Amino acid sequence: MAKIKRRGQAGQAKNYLTRTQAVKKLQLSLPDFRKLCIWKGIYPREPRNKKKVSKSATASTTFYYTKDIQYLLHEPLLQKFREQKVLEKKISRALGRGDVTDAARFERSAARPDKTGKPRYTLHHVIRERYPTFVDALRDLDDCLSMLFLFANLPSTSAVPAKMIARCERLCLEFEHYLIVSHGLRKSFLSIKGIYYQANIQGEDILWLVPYKFNQRIVGDVDFRIMGTFVEFYMTLLGFVNYRLYTSIGLKYPPKFDQLKDDQGAELGAFALEGVNIATDGAKAAAGDDAEHGPDPMLQAAVDKLVRQLKEEPGVESEVAVDAEEMPSDALDKFEPVAPGGDVLPQPSHSSSDPAELFAGMTFFLSRETPRQPLEFILRAFGCKRIGWDSVLGEGSFTTDESDPAITHQIVDRPVVQAAMSSEGDGEDNQTSQKVDLNQRYPGRVYVQPQWVWDCVNDDELKSSELYAPGAPLPPHLSPFVKTAHGQYDPTLPLEVQETEAETLDADLAEVDEAEGDEVENGMDVESGNDDSEEEAAAELSEEEEDEEDEEDEEEPATLQRQRELEAEIAGKAVASKTVDAKTKAKLEARKALEKKTREEAEDLERAKGMLSKKKRKLFEQMQYTNNKKSAEDMKLRSKRRKMEKELAKKA
Amino acid sequence: MGFKSVDKKRKTQVPESESDDELAGGFFDGVLSQSEDDSDFVADDDDDDDNDDQDDSASEGSQDDEDDEEDDDDALLSDDIPSDLDGEEALGKLLITDDEPEIEVPGVDPKRQDVGDEEKNYRIEKDANGGERYVYDEIEPGYDTDDTDAQGPANTIGDIPLDFYDSYPHIGYDINGKKIMRPASGDALQNLLDSIEVPKGWTGLTDINTGNPLNLTDEELELVRRVQMGLIPNELHDPYPDTVEYFTSIEEKMPLSSAPEPKRRFLPSKNEAKQVMKLVRAIREGRIMPYKPPEEREREAEEEDEVHFDLWQNEEPQDANPMHIPAPKLPPPGYDMSYNPPEEYLPTKEEREEWEKLDPEEREKEYLPQKYGALRKVPAWSEMVKERFERCMDLYLAPRIRKNRLNIDPNSLLPKLPSPSELKPFPTVCQTIFRGHEGRVRSVSIDPSGTALATGGDDGTVRVWELLTGRQVWSVKLSSDEAVNTVRWRPSKDSFILAAAAGEDIFLMVPSHATVTPSLDQVSRDILAAGFGYATHGQQQPVAVGKEPAAKWARPGTKLEDEGVLIRITVRSTVKVIHWHRRGDHFATVSPSGQRSSVAIHTLSKHMTQIPFRKLSGLAQTAAFHPLRPLFFVATQRTIRCYDLQKLELVKVVQPGAKWISSFDIHPSGDNLIVSSYDKRLLWHDLDLSNRPYKTMRFHSEAIRMVRFHRGGLPLFADASDDGTLQIFHGKVPNDQLENPTIVPVKMLKGHKVVNKLGVLDIDWHPREPWCVSAGADGTAQLWM
Repeated sequence: MAKIKRRGQAGQAKNYLTRTQAVKKLQLSLPDFRKLCIWKGIYPREPRNKKKVSKSATASTTFYYTKDIQYLLHEPLLQKFREQKVLEKKISRALGRGDVTDAARFERSAARPDKTGKPRYTLHHVIRERYPTFVDALRDLDDCLSMLFLFANLPSTSAVPAKMIARCERLCLEFEHYLIVSHGLRKSFLSIKGIYYQANIQGEDILWLVPYKFNQRIVGDVDFRIMGTFVEFYMTLLGFVNYRLYTSIGLKYPPKFDQLKDDQGAELGAFALEGVNIATDGAKAAAGDDAEHGPDPMLQAAVDKLVRQLKEEPGVESEVAVDAEEMPSDALDKFEPVAPGGDVLPQPSHSSSDPAELFAGMTFFLSRETPRQPLEFILRAFGCKRIGWDSVLGEGSFTTDESDPAITHQIVDRPVVQAAMSSEGDGEDNQTSQKVDLNQRYPGRVYVQPQWVWDCVNDDELKSSELYAPGAPLPPHLSPFVKTAHGQYDPTLPLEVQETEAETLDADLAEVDEAEGDEVENGMDVESGNDDSEEEAAAELSEEEEDEEDEEDEEEPATLQRQRELEAEIAGKAVASKTVDAKTKAKLEARKALEKKTREEAEDLERAKGMLSKKKRKLFEQMQYTNNKKSAEDMKLRSKRRKMEKELAKKA
Repeated sequence: MGFKSVDKKRKTQVPESESDDELAGGFFDGVLSQSEDDSDFVADDDDDDDNDDQDDSASEGSQDDEDDEEDDDDALLSDDIPSDLDGEEALGKLLITDDEPEIEVPGVDPKRQDVGDEEKNYRIEKDANGGERYVYDEIEPGYDTDDTDAQGPANTIGDIPLDFYDSYPHIGYDINGKKIMRPASGDALQNLLDSIEVPKGWTGLTDINTGNPLNLTDEELELVRRVQMGLIPNELHDPYPDTVEYFTSIEEKMPLSSAPEPKRRFLPSKNEAKQVMKLVRAIREGRIMPYKPPEEREREAEEEDEVHFDLWQNEEPQDANPMHIPAPKLPPPGYDMSYNPPEEYLPTKEEREEWEKLDPEEREKEYLPQKYGALRKVPAWSEMVKERFERCMDLYLAPRIRKNRLNIDPNSLLPKLPSPSELKPFPTVCQTIFRGHEGRVRSVSIDPSGTALATGGDDGTVRVWELLTGRQVWSVKLSSDEAVNTVRWRPSKDSFILAAAAGEDIFLMVPSHATVTPSLDQVSRDILAAGFGYATHGQQQPVAVGKEPAAKWARPGTKLEDEGVLIRITVRSTVKVIHWHRRGDHFATVSPSGQRSSVAIHTLSKHMTQIPFRKLSGLAQTAAFHPLRPLFFVATQRTIRCYDLQKLELVKVVQPGAKWISSFDIHPSGDNLIVSSYDKRLLWHDLDLSNRPYKTMRFHSEAIRMVRFHRGGLPLFADASDDGTLQIFHGKVPNDQLENPTIVPVKMLKGHKVVNKLGVLDIDWHPREPWCVSAGADGTAQLWM
C-alpha cells in the first residue's frame, strides 16, 4: 500500500511560505525583511490555489516562494543586519546600565543611514545579481529615475536627509549630462503630473517623470522609510549606470563638480565633463561651453556673431549639400518594396532629422517666467549650444543680457500686455536684472511659448512659430507615447475618417433636423408634422423590433406623407418642399438599412454565442465588455468633438 | 488623628522623663536636655490651642509635668548644698557645657554617661572574654526626643534687668509660676571649691567602663591638650626628618647580588614586539585609524564611499528565471494627461461631478483632464509623492501573477455557423392561427397523414382542425372541470385514432374528418373494439385480490360514443404525457403525481394496462419508446433511464445535468437524444458517446417546455419555451459514426403571447413537410411553414 500523503507535506503547500514564516525562517525583524525584499527584488506570489497553500485556517494574504526565501538565506547583507541588531542591543543595554559613555561609543560605530545617508554596507553585489547585464539594468531604470528625480526635488526633512537629496540631484544631473552628450533623449511630454521624458539608451526605451519645480506636498500616510530603502538602492544603481554610460562615450566619471556654482543654482552648469585620457572636444564643448563662458558675455556674443557672419552662413549650406550627395552616411536606409506582394516588415524609425541637430544653430534666451531646468536640458539634448537666461534663474547661462544680438529665439510665457499697461508695467517689474520694456521685441528674433520646444522635439521638426507666438491660444499638446490602435479615437486625424457609418448618418440627420428647424418659419404645422415622424422613426429604430413592425415602419412615411398632403390642402398651402423630403428620406432609408443590417448581425451573433461553451462564452462576453467600453469612450470623444466643430463652424 | 498619635507618644514618653527627673537635677535638665520636657510643653500648648477634645489628656500631661517640675524644685530646695557627687557632677557638667566640642569623648555621650552613672538603664552582663559588658536599654526614638529648637526661657520674668531681684532669694519665676531660686553666687562657689580637695588628676568625668571617676594622668592631659591644640599627639614624632639617601647619591662599591645581569635587561621584549607588530599591522590594514576630528572623518568617509567602477565589466547574460516575473511598467501618459489636451478630452460638468462624487479608490483615473492655457499656470501635482509611494508598495508588496492577455478578436471565438439560408427548408413564418379554445391550448398533434390537427386545451375540449385552412372540423368536450393535457394520434396511416388525456382519464376516439373514409373509420373502430372481445374472453391476467387494477378500460357512455369517443381508460392519477409505440399497439402514459404507478404501458389490442416499474427513483416526467429497438426511456427530474423491454433490465442512465427535465425526444435514427429542461437549457446527447451532453444550448430566457424532432427525414428539431418563442434548429446526424452531429440554430419564431408567464406549451412537426404547429398559452395554436 502506498504511503498515505498528508496535507501540507508536498506540492504547492511546500512551494510557498507566508510572510510570517519567511520572517521567522530568516530570523529578521519585519523592517529588515522588508529592506531585504526590496533590494533583492523578492516579491510575493499569487498561488494558483490559496486554500491548498495555506496551512492555517485563517486566510493569509501574502505568500512568497520558498525558493526565494532560501535564496535570501545566503545573502551577505543578512549578516550585516544581524550585526546591526547586536549593536543596537549593546547600546540599549549600555543605556540601561546607565553607562552613557559606552553607549555613545557604540552609537558612534553604529551606521545610521537614515541620518547620514551612509550605510556600512554596499549594495554592489545585489545590483550585479539582479541585473546580470547592463541592458537588464537599463530596462529597469524607469522607476529608478522617476524616484530619484522626485527625491531630488523634495524638501529635506528628518525622514529625508539633505545629503540624500543632494546625492539624488547630482546623480540625476549627471544622467542628464550623459543624455545631452549622447543625444539620447527622444521624446518629452508636458503632463499635468509633471514632465515625462523618454530616452533611448542602447536600444532600450526609458520613460520617466520629473515633477515640476514646486514644493512637493507630502501627504500624511507616506512611509518614507520604505521610500528611503528604494532610494538607497536606486542611488547605487544609477551611480553604476552613470559610470558605465560615461565611460562608454569616453568620459571620466564622476565629472568635476563645482560646489560654488551649484550653490548659485547652476545645476547642469555645475558639472564639467572630462575625457578619460584625451579631452574629447565634443564633450567639452557640450558642457564646458557655458562653464568657461562667464566673464564677458557681451564680448563673446559679439565674437560669436562675427564668426558666424564670416564663416558659417555661406559655408554650411554647401557642405550639407555635398554631404547629402556623396558621403556615405551611416544613417539608416529606408527599405521600400520594389515589387508588390511582399510582407511589410517593421523598420526602425526613420527620422528626418538627427536629434543632435534640431536646435543646433540656435541661440535661445529664456525669460524669467519659463521653467529653466527642463528647457535647458531639452534644448541641450537636442543640439542647442547657447542658452541664455535671466540671472534670477540661476548661474550658468550663456548670457544674462536679453538684448544680446546673438539670440535667435526667445522663449516667453507671459501674457501680452496692452500698450497702455506697459508704460506702467515697467515700474513693477523690479525682479528682472535688466529693465526691459515688457512689450519690447528685438527684431530678428523669434518669440515662442515653451510648448513650441516640446512640440518640435516630439515631431522631430521645427514647428512654425506663429502658432506658438506669445499670447496666442496654443494648439493642443499631444502625448507622443500613445500608439493608436486601429479604430481608436485619434485627435490628430479629422473626424470624418474615424466615424462609423452609423455616427455619420446620425450626424447628418441631426444636421438636416437643424436645417429644417431653420425653415420652420415657412410652414409651421407642416414641418412640425415632419419632425414628429422623424422622431417617431428614430424612437422606433432605437428599439429592437420585429420584422413585421419594420414593414409597418416603411409604410409609415407613406401614410404620413398623405396626411401631410391632406393637412396642406386644408390649410390651403402648397405641399412642403419635396427636395428636402427626398433627401431626408434617402438618408432615413440608409439608416434604416443600416439598422436592419446591425440587427441581423446581432441575431447571428446571438445564434453563434449560444453554441459556445460556458467558459468560452464568459470569455467572449468579457472581451466584448471591454471592447464596448473602449468604443463607447471613443464615441463620446467623437461626439464631443463633433459638437465643438459644429459650434466653431457656426461662429465662422 | 494626628493629635492623638502625638498624645500617645507623649504618654509613653512620660515615664522615661520621670526617671530622668528622678536621676538628674532639674537645673541640668533644663540646660542640657531640655528636649523632653520643653517639647512637652510646646506640644501641650499646641494641643490647648488647637483642640478642646484633647483637653483632658493634655491637662493630664501638663499635670504630670507640673509634678515633675515640683519634684525638681523640691530637689533644689531641699538640698541647698547639693551632695558631693551631685555637686561635682554638676560642676563637670557646667564645664562641659562651656566647651562641649573639645572635651566630648567620642563614643561617650555625656548625657548617657551621667544616666549610666546614676541608674539602671543599662544592665551589666558578661561578655565573651568574661569582662563586663554594659547593655543599655533601647532608646525609644520618640516624636519629641530630639526636639531641640523648642527652647523656652526658664525664667519668665521677661526683658527686665536681673538686678531688680537683687534683694530677693529668687531671680524670677518659671513657667509654672514657681520661684527660681538664685544659684549659688561666685563667693559661695569659690568657698565650696576651696573646701573641696581635688584629687590628683581629677576630671569630674566618669569612666564609662567602670563607672568610677575618671582620673587622667599628666601625660594624658598633655595628650588631650595637644590634640586640642591641633598638634601631633606624640611629642616625640618628628614630622620632618632629614632625608636619608639610600640609592641616589651613595654609590655602592659592591653589587648587592652577584647574579649575572638577566637577558631581559638588555634584549627587547619579544612579547612587546608582538604586540607592537599587531598594532602596526592593524594600522597598515586600516583597522586602526589615526585620530581625526569627527567632521573631517565624516567627510573622508563620504568621499571614500563613492566607489566608481564598472560593475558590468565581465557581464554574461543569464537566462531569466522562468519563475521571475518582472514588474510591469507604468503605462505611458495618454492624451488626456496633457497640460493642454484637445478640447474633447475635457470632462463635462456632469462627468466632473460624477468623478468628484466617487470615492478616490473607486475612480477609474486618479486625475481629471484639465486645460491650462499656458505652461506657467500648471501647478504641482499634489499626489506625486503618494503616487510614487504607492508604486513602491506595489513593487515590493503586490503579488505578481502572469496573466496572459488574449489579444484576439473576440469574434474568432465564435463558431463558424453556416448561413441559415443554406439550411433551408425550415419554418419561418406563421401560416395559420387556430383560434377557438378558451384558455390555454395544452397540446397539439398532427395526424400521420398530415391533414388534420388535433388540439386539447384548458376548456376540456379536444378539437380537430383542417391543418392548412385552420377550419375546425370536429370537437368534443371530454371533461367539464379537467383540462385536456395531451392529445396524440396513433402513428399508423391505416387508422385514424386519437388518444387524449383529461385528468385521470385517457380517451381513445375516432374523430370524423373529411379525409376519413367510411372504411378507414370502420377499421379504426374495429381496432378499438377488438380489445373488448379480448377482455370479455377472460384472458386478461388475473388481478391480485385486494389490489386495485392498474387501469379500468370502459366505454365512456353513449353521449360521448356518439361523438366518436369510444374508450375511456381510468388510471390512478392525472396523466400528463401520452406516447405511442411506433406500431400503434402500445402506448405509454406518464402521470408525474402517481407515485409507483406513474408510468403505465397500455396495450390497445388487449385492453390491458401494465405498470412496468415497481419503484422509480425520482418523479417520472415523461417517457418514450425507442423508434427502432425495443427500448423504453423514462425521464425523471434529473436523469433519463433506458430500459430494455425484452430483457427487462436497465440499459443506460443518461445524465443531462439539468435540474429539472421537462421533456425529451429521441432522434429517428435512435442514437441521439435531445432534452429540454426547465432551467432554460437544451441538451443534445449522443447516446453512443457518453451519458453526458454533447452540446448545451442556451437561447431561451425562460424555461423550455417541449422539444421535438422532425420525423419525416428532415434534419430539424424545435423547442418551445415560456418566453413565447419557438426555436428551430438544424440538427444533422451523419451516417458516418465518426462524424459529430452538426447543430445549427436557424430560426427563432415569435408569435405567441406570454400569458401568466406561460408561452408556448407544445409543438409538433408535420410528418413530411418542414412545418410545425405550436400550442400557446394565449389560446391559439399556430402553424409555421
